[in-house]
Formats: sequence, C-alpha cells, structure tokens
Amino acid sequence: MTNTLPLKGIRVINFGWVWAGPVVGQTLGFLGAEVLKIESRARIDMTRNLPPFAEGIPGPDRSLSNHACWAGNGSVTLDLKHAEGLELALRLIAESDVVIENFGPGVMERLGIGYESLRAVKPDIILFSMPAAGLYGPLEHVRTYGLSLTSLTGLDSLVGYKGETPIPVENAYSDPFAGIFGSFAILTALTHRRNSGEGQHIDFSQQEAVMQMVGPAYMDYALNGRSGKPKGNEHPTAAAAPHGVFPCSGDDRWVAIAIGSDAEWAALVAEMGAPAWATEPALATLAGRVQAIDQLHAEIAKWTRSHHDRALTDRLQAVGIAATPVLKVADLLDDPHYRARDTFIEVRHPLGFDETIYGGYVKMSRTPAVVKPGPVMGQDNDHAFLNILGLGEEEYQRLKESRVIY
Amino acid sequence: MTSGTDSRSPGALAGLRVIDFGQGVSAPHCARLFADYGADVIKVEPRTGDAARHSGPYPGDLPDQERSGLFFFHNTNKRGVTCQVEHPEGRRLFLDLVSKADVLIENNLPAQMRAWKLDYATLAAHNPRLVMISITPFGQTGPYSEWNGSDLNAYHLSGASARYCGRPHEMPLEHGTFSADYFGSVTGAAWGLGAVFGRDLVGGGQHVDVSSAEAIAAAFVGGQNIGGLAQDGRSDSRTGVGMPLGAPATILPCKDGHVWMLALEPGQWKGLRKVMGDPEWANLEMFNDMYTRAQNADLIYELMADWLMAHGKMELMEMCQAAGCPVTAVFTIEEAARHPHLQARDYFVDIEHPALGRVHSLGAPFKLPASPGGPHSPAPLLGQHNQEVYGGLLGLSAAEIERLQALGAL
Repeated sequence: MTNTLPLKGIRVINFGWVWAGPVVGQTLGFLGAEVLKIESRARIDMTRNLPPFAEGIPGPDRSLSNHACWAGNGSVTLDLKHAEGLELALRLIAESDVVIENFGPGVMERLGIGYESLRAVKPDIILFSMPAAGLYGPLEHVRTYGLSLTSLTGLDSLVGYKGETPIPVENAYSDPFAGIFGSFAILTALTHRRNSGEGQHIDFSQQEAVMQMVGPAYMDYALNGRSGKPKGNEHPTAAAAPHGVFPCSGDDRWVAIAIGSDAEWAALVAEMGAPAWATEPALATLAGRVQAIDQLHAEIAKWTRSHHDRALTDRLQAVGIAATPVLKVADLLDDPHYRARDTFIEVRHPLGFDETIYGGYVKMSRTPAVVKPGPVMGQDNDHAFLNILGLGEEEYQRLKESRVIY
Repeated sequence: MTSGTDSRSPGALAGLRVIDFGQGVSAPHCARLFADYGADVIKVEPRTGDAARHSGPYPGDLPDQERSGLFFFHNTNKRGVTCQVEHPEGRRLFLDLVSKADVLIENNLPAQMRAWKLDYATLAAHNPRLVMISITPFGQTGPYSEWNGSDLNAYHLSGASARYCGRPHEMPLEHGTFSADYFGSVTGAAWGLGAVFGRDLVGGGQHVDVSSAEAIAAAFVGGQNIGGLAQDGRSDSRTGVGMPLGAPATILPCKDGHVWMLALEPGQWKGLRKVMGDPEWANLEMFNDMYTRAQNADLIYELMADWLMAHGKMELMEMCQAAGCPVTAVFTIEEAARHPHLQARDYFVDIEHPALGRVHSLGAPFKLPASPGGPHSPAPLLGQHNQEVYGGLLGLSAAEIERLQALGAL
C-alpha cells in the first residue's frame, strides 16, 4: 500500500538546533515534508553529545535522546563560515519552501541568510523564526534556557505545592510545545502562500505562544485583578473537586482523581464505603467541596494509601470516575495503552544498532506517520548536492575535501 | 479597539470552515487557533452550553454563563449555535453542518460520540473530505480509550509529573494550568492542519486521533528518556530542583519574589560573579565548573541568599542579562500581563463583549505579517448565531428554525 503523506513535495531547510527547532522540523517530517537539517562538524550541536549513547559508546551519531527528538529531520552538513558553504545553503533554500531557525534575533542576518537574502533567491520563501521573546521589543535579546522560558509567561508562578512558593519544572516543557505549535504556524503560512502566492517571515515568540497556556489564570487577572499562585494539583479554575494526586501502596506510587460532577462524587463516596465525613450534605455540591477541599484531600489520601494504584484505577473507572495511575518513566514501555498505540517503537539505526524512540504519537486514519531513526550527520548530502543541486561528482568531492561540506 | 471587520485582511486560513464540537479547553482552544487565523469557526453547543460557561473566572466571582472568562478566552472569533445532537432532528442538523465543513474539532469521550452515532465512519460517509480532529486524554483506541478522564489524568499518565515536577517522595505536580489540554490542542492543530493542507494529495479527509497523554509521553518525556529506559533500564525521577547536574540552576527567592537563577557555562558564571560583586567564596577552586557547583548547590544557594534578598527580580534579571548570564524574573501573572515588552509588541487586544464589556485579552499567539491573525470578535452568546447559521448557511426558514427550537432540537 502506498502511503502518500499530506506534506509530500514540501521541502524544509532547518537551521534549528537543540530541541525546539528540531521538533518543528520533526512534526513537518512526520507529516511527509522533506526536512533537511543543516548542521556542521565544525560546531556539533550539544544535544548530539548527550548521554546515554547507543551501546554505551559515545559519539555524535549515538545519542539516544538526540535521535528521538530529531527523528523526522534529515541531515546535510555544511560549514556556513565558508563563503561556499553559505552559497550552497542559499542554493538549497532556492529549491525549498520553508526555512526554520531558532537562533536569537539578528543572527540569521549576521550569517548572511536573513529574510531579505532568502527572498532574493526564493521570492515566496517562508522563514520561520522562533526567538525566546520575538524578533523585536525591549526583551528581544533576553537569554533563557528552555526550562526557564516559562518564567517570562507567568506560568512558573503557578507551579508548586499549595500555599508555598513556586518550584521549577525540571525540563523544557515549552520546547516540544513550541516546536509542535510552530509547525502549525508554518502550515498557516503555507496555506496563505497557496491562496495568495506570497511567502512571509513568521515572528514566533516562544514567550507569546507559551503564554497561551496561562489563559485561564490571565483571565482571572483581567476580570478580577488577581494573580494566581501555586495550588498543587487543584483544578485551575476550581471547577472540579476533589481534584488531586493521592498516595498509593508501594514506592512513589500515586493515583490522580478528578471529580467533575456531583454524580461522580456520589460514586466516589460509595466506593470509599460512605464514611461519615464524606456524607456531609454540604459536600454534595461543587461549591461545598471546593470550600472543604483541604479536608477532602486529606481524607481521601488516608483511604487511597493502602490501595494499589492500578487496582484502584480499575475499580474507580468501573463506576465512571476519572482516575489514572501516575506513571513513572519506568512504566512507559510496559504500559498496555502505550503498547497498544505504538507510542514507542524500536528502529534499526543505519549504524547498525537498535534504539527505541517515539513513533507517530498522533494516529492519522488515512496517512499514518512513517518514523525513521534520528539522522546521521550528513546522511542526506548525496541527495542534497547531487540530486537537488546537481553538482558534478568532482565538485562534490572537492567541497567535501575542503571541508565546506563538513 | 479591534472589533469591526472592515480593515482586516482575510487571514491565512480564510475559506476554511470549522465546526467546534468541543467543551472545556482542549478542542475549543484548538478551534480558536483556526479562528485566530481566519477560518470560519462555528461552535456547536448543547442547550446547557459548553461546560466552560459553568466555570470561572467570572467578574466578581458571580456565576453567569455569559460571563465566564474561561469560555471567553477559548472561543473568540467564533459564531455560536445550539444543537441537541441526541434529538433526531438535532443530529440531522449537525450532520448538515458537518457536510458543509472542512474540519470538525471535538473532545468528547469516544463512547459518547458512538452513542450519538457521530463516530468518524458515520461523519465520513456524509463528508469524505472532512478532517476530524479528536483531542481526548487517552485517544480513540487502546485499553484506556473507554476511561473517563480530564486534563489532570492525562498529564499524570504521561510520566511528566513523576519525572519532572515536585519534590521526591511528595506528590508529583501538574503545572497549575491545563497543561495536557493545551499540549493536545496545539498537537491537534498542527497535525490536523497538515491533514487539511494535503487533503487533495492524499485523496480525502481523515480522522486525526490525538491523545494528550500520549503526545506528552512521547514528545516531552519520551524524547529525553525512552532511549535510556529501553537500552539501560534507566528511569530518573523528579528532584525538586531545576537541574540536578548543574548549578546554579533553580528558582530562588529574592527581595520581591523569585528569579530563575541560571549560570552554567563558564562565561555565565563569570558574569554572575561580577554582578554579585566578586564575593570571596565564589572564587573557590571547587566552584569552577557547573558539576562541582551542583555537588555543593545547597551551599551556593545559601551563600547567594543575602545578595538575592537585597535586590528585586526585575533588577536582578537586568543586571545578570547584561553580564551574559541568562537569569530571568519569575513573572507573576500581573507582571507578565503588564510587561512593557509585550505591550510594545501589541500582544494584547481589547474586545467588546455584550455581557463582559471591554475585555483586555491575549492576542495572536504568533505574528504572520502577510496575513495577520489573533482574536478580534468576542466569544458568542449561547445560541447567538442560530438564525444566521441555520438560516444563512443551511437555508432554513425562520418558521423552520422556530419549529426546531420548539421541538427541543436546538
């Protein structure tokens, strides 16, 4: 069966590095675009050297996390510090539809591949830029790490235990979020180009895109002047109670329970054996339960503590209660649901080892994603320089030997 | 003032018609992204309204289904109709709307869609070009697909909380917002618009099945952890600090709040030392690299405390950034909402709403200079566009609409 993917025929040049930029390319790649990541041995991306490595052997083509996060991108090696390298990049861009970058503002211009230079070689090019705080404005040069970018959105001020100060999220949720979101932005621009013939330079401020997630708390500020604070796992707008994570038997085992209706509360009370504290009439309504939420959560925690997380989940789900185990990394590969959905897949890497990465995590009924291993450095050089640009074999060898293609 | 339709360009997605048959956050937000960039989005609600109408924030905390901030935020630029799909005539109307749509976005539990006989196979028979985007906690297939669930369940099922958020041995945390719903929303928007873009190429519409839990388990947690788990059995857990392998790298208190304190690379640490006034302790050999600093992180944080408590967060951010050290202030919601940078970029919009008055809201999530987007019209009142949509789009007479109303189909 042939599986023509929706973005077949769209070519993307990806200068994105580390995590967010490569995820933009990955998403378009999973949807069928041909994505060529430009990188160079002259300055290897730090994520290519992150352990753990395949078979425990270090090397820039063996980082397991790099492969998972970059799969879907191809790789073309070009040293842009060489004038010829830059010229080859521009020639590839002339044959492409989209360019992705996640440097700071002005870096593309300094490299000689700013939007005007790209337009000169491809008038309807779409340039997608995703700096931390956008292409202009007082904070345009702000430096952040992925995991601290959320501090500029207000989101970090909401994360933590109830009544305490904020605690950090220990990895960059905003990187894959902005990466996937960014591919939507590119698709809107591709749609506009199809309708109008026009390309454009997308200003995707990660701060502004990620701040969408703060919408509910922002509205409380806009309407009532309040700035939210950490409140554990309680419902963000107090529209469900109880709403929390409760301890179970075993080491670091928990169950997440969200009660969205009075009927679900009644079912939970029955499962708990209708203890006196739970049958208080005041708790029959959401308002009463929100009022008494600390006591409620403390009592439920006493009850869950002796239960197994999965057994309790099954029991509560059987009566229609939204309960789930809180999974640890160690649980992911064996989880029956993720197994059934092929969330994680084993692939054979061109260098000969097997590795586990994530597969097409969205299930497309007509065009399932085809996921290949993360790119080997320069794996698409032959295709890019011989097929797309039509360089002669001698010229190609010369460029490799002079480390322009490197 | 940004309402009024005259001077606006049509938007990148003009010409697409989208039915939003969702409630709460995930599907309505996904549909709002289409509406932000010019698609004609029709929100279909039951007579009782989207559940978000029954949630705050309300002005003055006074519940009113036309004054929910949660509903407003996720439903700008949409037209709204009511439809009781469990009523045979209501279901017929819904199918007529779907026949005239390019995209359907929904977040009902799969069993509910089947009970309404509105599963993908049925809808595709009416409109083979339809792209149906379903965003649910667990997805359409697999053993948990019949489970009841919410944002909280999806997030905690992804591995994200136990791995990355909370102190060891204390409960793992969600982010204090609808993190899984939003992740599912942008995922559905990206993959769904991809399906729309390639519709002719691939021979028609399709079902785009998004599980919010799975998307996070894969693209966030899996990306960084799954290879090591599969090969070496490695499974790390939350530590309660920002970055256990480097320091300083965590959120620390200062005079008026908190800063995200980060100084990892040699140049960043050097910059921080300078800003702190070159204290003697910082020159110790043992603090030369970020790994040995991490082994002494508690000590370092204690030694920095007096200096941090003497300065405000904005001042610390400015001084450190100027010295090449990527420290940022932990903005409160108010500080983010009032920040001059976002003002200078026109991130906020004012929208007149019949019940809420003028609302100062967040604008376009990204800037498309050739085809600008963003919210410009208020969220619809319940059933506000029944006449316009059922009359104009489906061609029903006023008398017919009235009959359907009386029957309880709308």
